[in-house]
Amino acid sequence: MTEVTPEPTNGLMAELQERFPGAAQPAPEPQEGLTIARDRLVEVATYLRDELGYAYLSNITSVDYPEGTNGLPPRFEVVYHLYQPTGGPLVLHVHADREDPAVPSLAPLFPSANFQEREAWDLMGIRFEGHPDLRRILLWEGFDGHPLRKDWHEPYYEEDHKPFSSRFPEGRPMPAEERTLLRRNLRYPPGWSPRDWRPMADTWGYTPHDEVAHQKNPTHPADRVVLNMGPHHPSTHGVLRLLVTLEGETIQKLEPMFGFLHRCHEKIGERNTWLANMPYTDRLDYVCSMSNNLGYAIAVEKLLDVEVPERAEYIRVIMAEFTRFLNHAVSIGFTGNDLGIYFTAMLYALEEREFILDLFEMTAGSRMMCNYMRFGGVAHDMTDEAVELARELAFERLPRFVDKLEAFLTDNELFRARTVDVGVLPPEQAIAYGCTGPLLRASGVPYDVRRAEPYSIYDQFDFDVVVGTNGDAYDRYLVRVGEMRQSLRILQQALNRLPGGPVMAGKKKATLKVPAGEAYGRIEAPKGEMGFYIISDGGPNPYRYHIRAPSFINLGVMGELCRGHLIADVVIILASIDITLGEVDR
Amino acid sequence: MEFLSNLIVNIGVWIKGLLVGGGVAEHGAALVVKAIGAVVVGFFPLMVVVFLIWAYRKIAARMQGRLGPNSSGTWAGPYGILQTFADAIKMLTKEDIRPQGVDLIPYNLAPILVVFASVMVWAVIPFGPGRGLIGADLSIGIFYILAFSSAALIVFLMAGWSSNNKYATVGAFRAVAQLIGYEIPQLLAVLAVVMVTGSLSTQDIVGSQDVIFLVTLPVSAIIFFLASMAEINARPFELLEAESELVCGYFVEYSGMKFGMFYLAEFMNSVAVAAIFTTLFLGGWRGPWVDQAPILGTVWFLVKMGAVIFLWMLIQITLPRLRIDQMLAFNWKFLVPLALVNLCVVGLVNKGTTEGFPGGASAWTRGSILLGANLAMILATWGMLAVGERQARRRREAWQAAQAGELEVVV
Repeated sequence: MTEVTPEPTNGLMAELQERFPGAAQPAPEPQEGLTIARDRLVEVATYLRDELGYAYLSNITSVDYPEGTNGLPPRFEVVYHLYQPTGGPLVLHVHADREDPAVPSLAPLFPSANFQEREAWDLMGIRFEGHPDLRRILLWEGFDGHPLRKDWHEPYYEEDHKPFSSRFPEGRPMPAEERTLLRRNLRYPPGWSPRDWRPMADTWGYTPHDEVAHQKNPTHPADRVVLNMGPHHPSTHGVLRLLVTLEGETIQKLEPMFGFLHRCHEKIGERNTWLANMPYTDRLDYVCSMSNNLGYAIAVEKLLDVEVPERAEYIRVIMAEFTRFLNHAVSIGFTGNDLGIYFTAMLYALEEREFILDLFEMTAGSRMMCNYMRFGGVAHDMTDEAVELARELAFERLPRFVDKLEAFLTDNELFRARTVDVGVLPPEQAIAYGCTGPLLRASGVPYDVRRAEPYSIYDQFDFDVVVGTNGDAYDRYLVRVGEMRQSLRILQQALNRLPGGPVMAGKKKATLKVPAGEAYGRIEAPKGEMGFYIISDGGPNPYRYHIRAPSFINLGVMGELCRGHLIADVVIILASIDITLGEVDR
Repeated sequence: MEFLSNLIVNIGVWIKGLLVGGGVAEHGAALVVKAIGAVVVGFFPLMVVVFLIWAYRKIAARMQGRLGPNSSGTWAGPYGILQTFADAIKMLTKEDIRPQGVDLIPYNLAPILVVFASVMVWAVIPFGPGRGLIGADLSIGIFYILAFSSAALIVFLMAGWSSNNKYATVGAFRAVAQLIGYEIPQLLAVLAVVMVTGSLSTQDIVGSQDVIFLVTLPVSAIIFFLASMAEINARPFELLEAESELVCGYFVEYSGMKFGMFYLAEFMNSVAVAAIFTTLFLGGWRGPWVDQAPILGTVWFLVKMGAVIFLWMLIQITLPRLRIDQMLAFNWKFLVPLALVNLCVVGLVNKGTTEGFPGGASAWTRGSILLGANLAMILATWGMLAVGERQARRRREAWQAAQAGELEVVV
């Protein structure tokens, strides 16, 4: 793979070390970036944001070192990935105590840290001091422990990773229920009883309402109602719950609640071998499995240092761009559904999607869960028949579809009435909330990972970064349509120049030795920046495997966007953010 | 041939003759015939709706590139025409879930009343010429229709409030705002027709349409059609249910056949609106050769009604819905003033043409003067909208330019 590292941040690191002597040190090999002293983190982050323009806190994750590495004692590490809206990454490591981990919160500085710190608290148990609302986000309150800690073991799976030999050495399958009886497989936190449990979210939402109802608090207007949109609601696009406080029909406060689809993808990833994890990434954003594959492959290839053959790179780009097209088409179609166009727009989009899925099936053997990319290439070559279909789609059918879509929607009076000036997101706020993808670009920020930090062979194609002006739902629609056209442009170039040759570097191997180190691979997935943060200790499994899911972080701005709008606008705003719950809940 | 040309009336006469021949008293036989007629009129919308639901699904499927109901899986008749019956049986056999905390009396009464209100409208719709093919030729026929269609509002409120559900309550609130609001332009549009006709009876209104009112009173027709779309909760104004927002609106908590009755009432209302529109503006049963064969009147009526229903379907399947504030603004800021202006203009023109001409103007003269006045009104409205649009665009561009000037620093 052609490694394109953006201009190294050495000068910056030296400057930081000079500015904060003792507080900022280079992280020990093989880690990247800086180690920041815990008590000066906020100071350093403020300086980075205000003086150096690192306004964009992309990713927060945490790593558990129960044994201690690099000559350091047992500890937790919190890892921050910061970007300038144009530049390369800056990685910060902060160490936390193993016994009582606590790190100052960055949520007051960067609103994008809000959800991510809650996730780190939920899964790793690191307290973020000063966080406005630190409670579990993906798991429920009755869950005992923090599952990503290395000393936490799942029920039924005693080993840290999946054993290669049979899981049933006795020769007979043993259902999990036999090993642990029903009702014995639950462990509650100490002092917690399921009988008098009231979900924390409900306490948050209903208490003010109850007070109003019982006249305890006369200052509240009495016509305030708390409404649960979801988890079962026609337009939450999955099992998302929006807790809405209404005054009349106007939104006073809205908070997304999720985790209904949580399966601790990251823990599963740490138990699997590197390659065995590839099909699991399909299930993240199940609409665009190809780009998930690509992101994971790129992250691992950074550690592997393997050269991807040219044909494989082209096929990857072709698949990723078809995925982008189909995601945007389906997204616009579902927006139509939320607007109330009795399924018509959606079915028009799904018809085109079927053809793209046919292409995926021809190439990868599967329509939705493709499992197509490999480290150093792709799993199967594209047949001539598949190339023929791809050419027909990219040159004939899909351009026609985009024209038709625009003819029906762009100047549609009712469509404009419902989307223009709905959910306006100013650019500063978009960056502060860590939004990416069409959501960010519709606000007028020309930030595209394909341009900012080109991966694969995107630097060889001509395409424009589509930006909006107003940042409302209508602009997001326009940006999606523009990106569909740009995708077709890239596809046409790629198909015209598709070279021959092998599609896989070296020969296929069952096991894989990944050198120790850490890597953060990111791609411009259809929904935004998708990052894979992986740490290898040289073993057969990832030591740490974290995903920066664009839907999850884009959802953070939802509450802000909806305030003051009507219920009808909530579904439009949600549809224009374009989330997939498989990715949000992981 | 003589029997066939006026089939339905002659069947009535024949049954009455049989009964009288069998020894039943004259007025008793008349009562039995009336009862049979009432049952037929009551069941007519039901039968139409059973076919209509199938047609709606089939047409929607064709517009969306699907097949719709068909017999490829389980047998459902040719072209899946029996699918609606299967659905009805499914709904009848489903468990009737009653949520906790509902207010029982209004909750159970609402599905009955909603169907009742939609069926009662049919009593005054003239299906054909003469007194034989109308349930009751009331002298206040159109007033009766409007009264019963606003009864639906109470039913929606009953259903929404008694369900003990927030979505249902919001749906009921919207129902009140929407139905009361749109009743005004609807009524004003009908009033223009009544002024021109000089009678509230539906049969008289049909009788006076030598030229159909769609041509002579287009503004009233458009206002009536739009307001009716809102009254029957059709797509651009489909805010009471708003599937993607309120799940199902005021009847979200109903299941089984109670849900089925709301569903039925919705389709029945749309058929009723099509029938009223046909009566008021499309000349009802009037058409060529009706004088020779009165049965053709019923055919013309059904054909015209079918055309209106198809228009309703087209809108229903392809358009998004408005937001509640936009819908109310459209009503109070556009439809109501336009309806009032229309009423004044039609009143003046009507008075002028009946009394201004010596001996009264002919129907054609009167019609063309009305049409001219209506066209002038349409042009004036169009011009005002265009001016408003241009101003709004100019404001918006200025605002965007100001925004762009500020935004240059970003990135």
